[in-house]
Amino acid sequence: MDSRVGRVVIAAIAVLMIGSAVGCGEGAQETTSDAQPVRIGAVLSLTGTYAALGEAEKNALDLEVARINDAGGINGSPIELLIEDDATDEAKAVAATSKLIEQDGVVALIGATGTGPTMAMRGDIQRAGIAQISLAGGTVVTGDFDPLVFQTPWSNNLVVPYVLEVMKESGHTKVALLTDSGGYGKDGRDVIIAEAPPAGIDIVADETFNPGDTDLTAQLTRMKGSGADAVLLWTAGKEAAIAMKSARDLGMKLPLFGGSGQARAEFIEGSEGAAEGFVFGTGKSLIPSNWGEGSPEYQSVSDFATRYEAAYGEAPDIFAGHAFDALAIVADALERAGTDASPAQLRDAIEATSGLAGFGGSFTFSAEDHNGLTREDLATYRIEGGKWVAAE
Amino acid sequence: MADLLQFIVAGLKSGAVYALVALGFTLVYGATGAINFAQGEFFMLGGMIGVALAQAGAPLGFAVIGSVLITAVIGGVFELLAVRPIASGDPLRIIMVTIGGSVVIRQLALHVFGPDERPLAPFTAGPSLRVLGAAIERQTVWVWGITAVAVIALAFMYRRTLFGKAMRATSIRRDAARLVGIDAGRMVTVSFALAAALGALGGLVVAPLTQTAFYVGASMGVKGFSAAILGGLGNPVAAVGGGLILGLLESMTAGYINPLYKDAVALIVLLGVLFLRPQGLLGGLGREKV
Repeated sequence: MDSRVGRVVIAAIAVLMIGSAVGCGEGAQETTSDAQPVRIGAVLSLTGTYAALGEAEKNALDLEVARINDAGGINGSPIELLIEDDATDEAKAVAATSKLIEQDGVVALIGATGTGPTMAMRGDIQRAGIAQISLAGGTVVTGDFDPLVFQTPWSNNLVVPYVLEVMKESGHTKVALLTDSGGYGKDGRDVIIAEAPPAGIDIVADETFNPGDTDLTAQLTRMKGSGADAVLLWTAGKEAAIAMKSARDLGMKLPLFGGSGQARAEFIEGSEGAAEGFVFGTGKSLIPSNWGEGSPEYQSVSDFATRYEAAYGEAPDIFAGHAFDALAIVADALERAGTDASPAQLRDAIEATSGLAGFGGSFTFSAEDHNGLTREDLATYRIEGGKWVAAE
Repeated sequence: MADLLQFIVAGLKSGAVYALVALGFTLVYGATGAINFAQGEFFMLGGMIGVALAQAGAPLGFAVIGSVLITAVIGGVFELLAVRPIASGDPLRIIMVTIGGSVVIRQLALHVFGPDERPLAPFTAGPSLRVLGAAIERQTVWVWGITAVAVIALAFMYRRTLFGKAMRATSIRRDAARLVGIDAGRMVTVSFALAAALGALGGLVVAPLTQTAFYVGASMGVKGFSAAILGGLGNPVAAVGGGLILGLLESMTAGYINPLYKDAVALIVLLGVLFLRPQGLLGGLGREKV
């Protein structure tokens, strides 16, 4: 290799190591009222791998802030929402957090979209002593307990035992596990490994893949020969659809189960029919009537869905729902603590949230529980005819 | 035995896609002496534009061909508007421009196509084929067929057409080619367009298997670049060989060692090859640069 080629290759490799993600901040929302606005910050993944999630979350937050402000704000004060993009990157999440705290002086922070960036924000959150309401489902967010950190999605700690029980009840005890090595899958895998023995479930195969993998043949081939009587898939990535199609092509007849990561239209669409019969457990709100018509949760979820569809022309996904909950929790706490509450008073008010009917379920926080949901908020679904239906 | 065959099928499937992307790297390298870091984004654009055309109601064949042509035009325009005026032929500056370009293309794709993953229908529907106990998806046969056709067409163009010979002459000695009346600048533009077309083809054939999204380009760029280096930069035969070897290597690592190590093993082998055979595994086979 002559020296010019060498130079080029070295430069190229150096560039690969540096990486190339970029992000850009979102401007502040305009407010029209004369009253002192309450500033709330949000750190979302509007670009990068989780852009689809962050976009839905931003839509939900914008929609709800506009609704609250149009109705006169909270106790007369409008909400000013400042959204920063973390580009699905932990370092950028930290930078966004300190900007929102130091420069913008927000009283509470919503975010981040992913578990990694959520955890990365914690240093600044603790230093500033303001409440953080995370939209990420990782167990560690509230499992690694911090008095300042709350969480709106159904955490793996809640969903995993529920799904294992569903599997056990349907007579499947020898389970082949397929998880991704990214945040959601790795977190789920740890919980599954810990919860399987008490649930009476035997993990006979434990396969993993990297986010971005385009082929899962090796993993599925080994699972096929493992003697399992069911497959448990725990991932939020698009690789789930590859797994479904490959399993069908390899002639795997085992029933497949999963969790909240599969509550996405893209999963069903991408599987092209291979996901028919897939069973997963997640929150009741995928089908609002699960709550029983007339219940406060039903009202809250279906009102939100109607407004969201009117504004954006599509039904809200669960990520939009988790963001809706986060804002509802902050707004509810501000109403009780007053809009001039200090960050510490606001945190206390959030912890005192009780029976708030939202998308994820009925939120009741306590000094020990910052996830606030119970298995009463979960339901089982089966994929049939290209959409999810309630499974008994 | 059936397992081994299954892993080989999986490896050759990924490998054929890597080969298409690697060919794009090799073409631009041949014409400019530089690495085109936007190559992975052409892979992404191929898939996304194909999906957009198909969703707009175009028949699948039209969507595929249309997407390849549109991406080729984007590749050529990218060279004319960004690479040429800014880099003025210096390989290191071309690298910088293509890195910047890749970020711009990715962000534009995010805004135009949205952040969601999108599926593309298989080229022929139906259950997978069975060969000696191994399952082969119909789309995998398409991947192999289209890669083979692309490679043969490229080889034919290079060896038999005046235009291809002009491109080879440019890559062997740019100044001499210019002296005999070859428009070297045009050759560079065409090499970008062809590289974009090959990348797009890769993105299209694999989209029915994996879905596609605005962010898939970066990681595929790394794979294609690795394949091109592994085989030997600047040699199309070596690029194809490098792609297939890389795919097999990954598949065997995933099958017999641990799926989580497959990227690492591929990188270690790549570094080992660079250390022991800097010209690439197959770099010495073809005497010509292209």
